[in-house]
Amino acid sequence: MEDVIRGFVLLMEVQNLLLIFGGVLVGVLVGALPGLSSPMAIALLMPFTISLDPVASISMMAALYCAGTFGGSITAILINAPGAPPAVATALDGYQMAKNGEPGRALGLAAVSSVLGGIFAIVIFLFATPLLADIALKFGPVEYFGLSVFALSMLAAMSGKSSIRNLVAGALGVFVSTIGVHLATGVERYDFGVQELTEGIKFVPVLIGLFAMSELLAQSKTLNNAVERMSAKALRLPTIAELKSLKGTILRSSGLGTFIGILPAEGSTVAAMMGYNEAKRFSKTPEKFGTGCAEGIVGPEAANNAAAGGAMVPTLALGIPGSGTTALILAALVMHGFRPGPYLITETPHLVYAIFGAMLFANFAFLGIGLVGARFFSYVTFIPKRFLWPSVFVFSLIGSYAYSSAIFDVWVMLLSGIIGYFALRNGFSPAPFVMGLILGKMVEETFTQSMVIYESNFMNFFDSGVFIFFVILTVISLSSPFWPQIRAKFKPKTVE
Amino acid sequence: MSDEKKTFDFAPKTLGAGFIHKKDLVLAIILVAFGAFMYYEAGKFPEAPAILGDTLNADVFPKMLITILFILVAIIPFEFKLTPAKIAKIDKDRGDKTPPITWISILLLLTIVSFAEFLGAVVTMFITCLLLPLVWGERNYIAVAIYSVVFPGFVYLLFNKLLGLYFNPGILELLK
Repeated sequence: MEDVIRGFVLLMEVQNLLLIFGGVLVGVLVGALPGLSSPMAIALLMPFTISLDPVASISMMAALYCAGTFGGSITAILINAPGAPPAVATALDGYQMAKNGEPGRALGLAAVSSVLGGIFAIVIFLFATPLLADIALKFGPVEYFGLSVFALSMLAAMSGKSSIRNLVAGALGVFVSTIGVHLATGVERYDFGVQELTEGIKFVPVLIGLFAMSELLAQSKTLNNAVERMSAKALRLPTIAELKSLKGTILRSSGLGTFIGILPAEGSTVAAMMGYNEAKRFSKTPEKFGTGCAEGIVGPEAANNAAAGGAMVPTLALGIPGSGTTALILAALVMHGFRPGPYLITETPHLVYAIFGAMLFANFAFLGIGLVGARFFSYVTFIPKRFLWPSVFVFSLIGSYAYSSAIFDVWVMLLSGIIGYFALRNGFSPAPFVMGLILGKMVEETFTQSMVIYESNFMNFFDSGVFIFFVILTVISLSSPFWPQIRAKFKPKTVE
Repeated sequence: MSDEKKTFDFAPKTLGAGFIHKKDLVLAIILVAFGAFMYYEAGKFPEAPAILGDTLNADVFPKMLITILFILVAIIPFEFKLTPAKIAKIDKDRGDKTPPITWISILLLLTIVSFAEFLGAVVTMFITCLLLPLVWGERNYIAVAIYSVVFPGFVYLLFNKLLGLYFNPGILELLK
C-alpha cells in the first residue's frame, strides 16, 4: 500500500501531471491523424525523454498509448478513416451512425466505452501484475528462455498480413540484437570494422526509422487523397439508460480485450475485431450491425482500450511486451536503466504504480479532451500531408541524432526506414521485428545461461516442467494460423 | 466458379504463380543470401578462451538463429498455397511499382542526411522543410517559405533553447 501511495504522490507533481496531460494530447492527436500512430509518437518522443525523470517519461508514454487508441476512433467515426488500426472495427458502425446524423452520439459512445474498457483493464493490471511477477520470480534461466521463445512464437498469431513473415521479421529482429560485443565471451560480432557497431544497434534510431520513416515513404504516394468529413459540433455522452442496455457488451468486450492484451504479442487491433465480432454474436439484433448500431461501437472500443491496459501486464511483470507499442515502452524502460520483468515490481514498485496511475488519469483526461475537443481533432485531418510529413522527418532527424549526438544513428534511422518501407510492401510488419530486437538479448542471455547450467545439453532443458509447458504453448501458437484451414478440411460437407 | 477464378484464389496470374510464387522466391533468395553471408561471418568469430569454461562460443546463437531463419524463409515461396487470401492481399499492395515520387523522396532524404553534419541541424531542418513540400508538389510558395522558416525555428527554440538539446551548428559556425 505504501508503494501505491508513493507512486501516486510521484505522479501528483505538477510537472508529471503536465507531461501526462501532454502525452494524452499528443496521443489523441496522432491517433486522429491517419498515418501517424502511437508507436511512432513514442519512438519519436523517446530520445527527448532521456533527460526527464524516468517516472514522468514512462508515465507520459503510457498515457500517450491509452489516448492514441481512443484518438483513432475520432477520425474513424467522422471521416471513415481510422487514425489507427484498432479503430478499423469502430468505423464499421461509427461512421454509419455519423452518416445517420448522430456523429456526437457515436463519439460519446466511443469515448465512454473506451474509458470503461480502460479502467477495467487497469484494475486487472493492478492485481495481475504483482501476481504474475511473483510467479516469474520463481523462474530460472531455462523457464525464462521458454517464456521468451513462447512470446516470439506468438508473432505467428499476431495481427498482420502473414504469420510466416511475422516470424521471419521476429527472427531478424533477434538476429540484429546479436550485433556488437558478446557479453559472455567479449567477442565482437558483425561489426565489420565499424567502431559504432561494436556497441550494437541502438533501439531508438531503428524504432524511429521503422515506425516513422517507412510510413513517410508509404505516404508519399497518397499525397492527393482527399477526405470527406462529418461535422460534429460536440461529443454527446450516452444516457444512463443507454449505458445500462449496453453494459453486457461493454463488460464482455473489456474482459476479452484485457485477456487478449495480456497475451504476448497480441494487441489492440485483434482485440477490437474480436470485440466487434463477439458484440455481434451476442446481440439480439445482429442484423443491425454495419448500419450504425451502438453495440457495434462500444464492442470494439471497450475491447481495444482494455487491450492497451492488458498489454502492460506482461510488459511490466515479465519483461515480455504485450504489443508493438508496449515493446517501445519496454525499450524506454531499458533506456532509463530499469530492468523490465519481475524485478521491476520488487525493486521499483512505485514506478509500476505511477504507470498505473498515469493510465487511469489518461483515461479520464481523454474523455475530457474528447468532450471539448472532438471537433478540433476532426479538423487536424486537414493538415496537408505535404507539410505534416516533412515535420515528421525533422523530428526523426533530431530524435535519432539527439540520442547520442552521432550522425551514425541518423543513418541507422534512415536505412531502417527505407528497408522498413520495402519490407512493408512485401508483407513484413515493423512490430514483430521490434519485438524480436527487444527480446533478443533476453533470449540469448537465458539460452546461454541455461546451456551452462545444463552442461550444454539442450535435451536437459526438458527436465523443467515449466519449460515443457511453454514448449506446448509455443507449438499451439505456431500452429494456430493454420487451424481454420485444418478445421475446414475436416468439416463435413453439406449437400446443397 | 470458372477455372480462371480458381487460379486467382491461390495467387494472381500476373505474378506468374503456379507451383512457386516468383516474387516471394526472389524475396526468399535475398533473405537466404543474407543469412548465408552472416552464417559465414559467424564462422570467423574467435573461440571463447578456455578460462571461460563451459561458456558457449559467440557463434552458436547467431548460427542457430540463421538456421531457424532458413527454415522459415523456405516456406515463403509456397505460402500462397497455405494462406492464399493473405498473400493475394500482399500481392495487391506490391502489385504496383514503387512510384517515382517515393524514389525521389528516398534520394532526397539520403542527400539531406549525407550533408546533415556539414550543414548543421538548423540549416538541415530548413532545407528539409523547404525542399520536401516542393518535391511533393506543393505550389503555395508563400506557405512553403513561411513553413520552412517557422517550423525549424520552433523546433530550435523548443529543443535547443528550452530543453537544452545539443544542435550541431555545422555551416553556421563559419558565420561567427
